[in-house]
Amino acid sequence: MKLAAGDRVMTSARNPAGHYRLPRYLRGKPGIVEALHGRYLLADERAAGRDVSEPLYTVAFAARDLWEEDAEADCIVHAELWESYLVGL
Amino acid sequence: MSRLNDVGGMHGFGPIAHSVDEPPFHAEWEARVFALNRVLMLRGVYNLDEFRDAVERIDPARYLGMSYYERWLTAIEALLAQRATIV
Repeated sequence: MKLAAGDRVMTSARNPAGHYRLPRYLRGKPGIVEALHGRYLLADERAAGRDVSEPLYTVAFAARDLWEEDAEADCIVHAELWESYLVGL
Repeated sequence: MSRLNDVGGMHGFGPIAHSVDEPPFHAEWEARVFALNRVLMLRGVYNLDEFRDAVERIDPARYLGMSYYERWLTAIEALLAQRATIV
């Protein structure tokens, strides 16, 4: 597994066709890895009938990094994200 | 893909209405749809991610006007038709 708790990451800004579990509001955003969960089947591939596993992480995002001054201060958004959703490591 | 289900952070839908003693289903047919989906996945007709993909592939204009379990039933019908389980 390439990432460890505390690592800074960027999310991908990709917009692939098909099932994809990185929501729009988390694309191209900076976050910090908070927990490692081991390998899980990637939902994007499983939706197409293929079993491919990847490391899954909990990533924390500052709400102000997502919505700037429209977000509450000190608010954190957590998301469980597969490794291929993370770039700029 | 950014499909119509991806509404996180979007304005305009109004407050989420809920009550403390809300029943799990609002009509008997909803419970049947829930059970049907469980059985079809347990039997391996399709998996959860294929089901979610099918919900997301509903025509956007129809999707917005549907209730939660109407979307489930529409997705189940599409998957079964696709697999020629029903014709």
